[in-house]
Amino acid sequence: MATHDNTEQVTDTTDEAVGWESKLRYFLNSDFVRSAPYWGIPFVLMSIAVYGGIGYNFAISFTDYEGLGTPDYSTLDLEMYTQALSSDAFISAAQNNLVLLVGFTTICLVLGLFLAVLLDHGIRFSEKFQTVYLLPMSLSFVVTAQLWLWMFNVESGILNLVVTTLGFNPVDWLGNPSIALGAVIFALIWQFSGYTMVVYLAGLQSIPDDQFEAARVDGASIIRTYLRIIVPQLKEASVSAAVVLMVFALKAFTFLYALVGRYRPPNGTDILATLMVRRAFKFGEWAYSAAIATMLLIMALGVIGPYLYYQYKQGSL
Amino acid sequence: MVEHDSSDERVNRRKYLKALTVGAAAGIAGCTGGGGAETEGTESGSGDSSGSSGDDTETGGSSSGSTWDSQLEVLHGWAGGDGEAAVTALIEAFEEEYPEMDTNFQAVGASANVNLNATILRRLANNNPMSSFANWPGKNLERYSGALMDLEADVWDAEGFKDTMQSRAVELCKFNDKMPAVPIGSHRMNNLFYNTAVFEEAGIDASSLDSVDALLDALEAIDQNTDVTPMAQAMVAPWTNLQLWAQILTSQSGVEAYTNFIEGNPDRAAVVEALEALKTINENYITADASSISFTTAGQKVISGNAATIHQGNWVYGMFRADDSFNYKEQWDWIPFPGTEGIYFYHVDSIVAPSNNPSREETIAWQKFVGTKKAQIAFNNPKGSVPLRTDIDPSELTDFLAMTYEDLTDSEAYPPTIAHGLAVTPKTMGACKTAFGDNFMGPFKVEATADALVEAVSE
Repeated sequence: MATHDNTEQVTDTTDEAVGWESKLRYFLNSDFVRSAPYWGIPFVLMSIAVYGGIGYNFAISFTDYEGLGTPDYSTLDLEMYTQALSSDAFISAAQNNLVLLVGFTTICLVLGLFLAVLLDHGIRFSEKFQTVYLLPMSLSFVVTAQLWLWMFNVESGILNLVVTTLGFNPVDWLGNPSIALGAVIFALIWQFSGYTMVVYLAGLQSIPDDQFEAARVDGASIIRTYLRIIVPQLKEASVSAAVVLMVFALKAFTFLYALVGRYRPPNGTDILATLMVRRAFKFGEWAYSAAIATMLLIMALGVIGPYLYYQYKQGSL
Repeated sequence: MVEHDSSDERVNRRKYLKALTVGAAAGIAGCTGGGGAETEGTESGSGDSSGSSGDDTETGGSSSGSTWDSQLEVLHGWAGGDGEAAVTALIEAFEEEYPEMDTNFQAVGASANVNLNATILRRLANNNPMSSFANWPGKNLERYSGALMDLEADVWDAEGFKDTMQSRAVELCKFNDKMPAVPIGSHRMNNLFYNTAVFEEAGIDASSLDSVDALLDALEAIDQNTDVTPMAQAMVAPWTNLQLWAQILTSQSGVEAYTNFIEGNPDRAAVVEALEALKTINENYITADASSISFTTAGQKVISGNAATIHQGNWVYGMFRADDSFNYKEQWDWIPFPGTEGIYFYHVDSIVAPSNNPSREETIAWQKFVGTKKAQIAFNNPKGSVPLRTDIDPSELTDFLAMTYEDLTDSEAYPPTIAHGLAVTPKTMGACKTAFGDNFMGPFKVEATADALVEAVSE
């Protein structure tokens, strides 16, 4: 006991004796500070460029900033948010965004899995097919948008050539508001299903052949083997592919903008990103657009958040 | 030894840290400093707008200098076709006149000024103005309210433009007691261009088309008697419907009904009647791919004989002319939009100067040049528009433009165009376009569009 007391006293006195200068020295000598030049600079740059931008956007969304001039931060309120949530344009854009998000991601995953399973069966020229399917992914949105604009053309597009050959009336793919979003999703699926295919293929190839053999020995059909044994093991691949696809769905602005060359996409395909850019850069409604941007960010976080949490639980983060 | 080493190291690290802190501090100071400068700049900008006396004294001192220190930076949207040819001619003429000036003319995108307007708005909001930019005058200038330079004394009075320009153009270049713009050319909006061979085949006498009903009958006759689509219409963007609707409204209910509409007293019955006629046209007489084509593609359909007529501003003239096998009075001809004879639906392109101008003297010289005969003739001939000066010799213009120019100088009425910024504020124009964009791109909802239009102008 006595010794213990003694030591404590000693440390106490040294602490006092050492004073703030030594403490500072200890602090400066710590790994945290010594490594600062390496992580600090990128951290500061990231903070300013990304999180500073988000913060500034957030601040502007509470003002009534509009047109030229400077934002007035003296009266901050949620007016822009309530205005957006009560506007039909915003609601329909959010709905379209949701349909795009769910429809595009689901179909891409299913189609990609299907293609991957086919290729995994060691069919002839499978590498070449793989390249063919993946190629659209490497094209820019600008290229694919123009390509599909021609494909969807009512009079000369190849899709309507097929439709009319089959004896139906030509379909106004992009002009009819109830079909336009489907047409856009179709084009995006064409571009991205190759990506999901590759992700799944990598997952499938990492599953040992023994499992297929064991299943066959047990008398399971191929469909049953896949549904019960193989697909459940592709959870990781599905999750990461789904997150990438969802983020692309939220960013579909590029595709829509390239499709028509203006901020107003075809009727029925307006999404939050196009609405936001239109309100901001066409009408100078900075605060309103900032509010839409914030809500778009929340949607994106809603997608990424669970994924990050999942990764964290798995211990890979 | 070891300790010594480490303390040495520590010193180095301290230096490092010190440098880092200083750097960071400088960075932060730089940011806030920039912010400070920005607010200051804007303040002086708004100071400019409230009092113009300061401007006058400044000019008196420096306008005599003939050497140019700053670069003249002009943004415009004429990135292709006839617009590009026109602006190139204008620039060449300017550089001939001012060979020593350092100039930077930038074409920002095409597609109906979408990119140009966004770039200008962004740069003005960031307090990074250019010397001047191309834009519509009139209510459109509302977009740049508080950030415009006053050219009244230095350009308008100095060159006597108020006497040589059309009075309507002079009025449109006034904005909040300032004159920030100089007009460069005018397009006529109430046109009906047609392919003569198709009209002949369908047995239509264009000069007999004097009302919307007559037009509808003619379109029906073309539909029945030929394989050609009666009308080309571009609906990739809503402004084409808006401007065609404005023509129909004016034709059916008169200039007064149109004027009342843009002034905020819409007659809903007249609005609906015009929409009904437009619906008939869009449902029966236009090409099937209208919803995904632009007006250039629509114009090409008239050239190729796939469509009989097109309603557009006379910028399509610039396009028709580019095709050597498609000539005025031979392969194509023109009438004023049926029922709008004697009216010149007014459109103006102008060059606008922002305040806080980075090159004051150069900008003034350039804006003066824009108003000269030489500039207006050089620009308008290739553009397919007509000069706004009243003292141009029509023989210097092409035949079609000489005719338009004569109409420009003596028509009965000059209603300003709604789809091109002159008649209503950018916000109202946006709401009118949205009215068509949301409700009138097929299916064509007359009542919903009428409600949205009435609400747009009544706001």
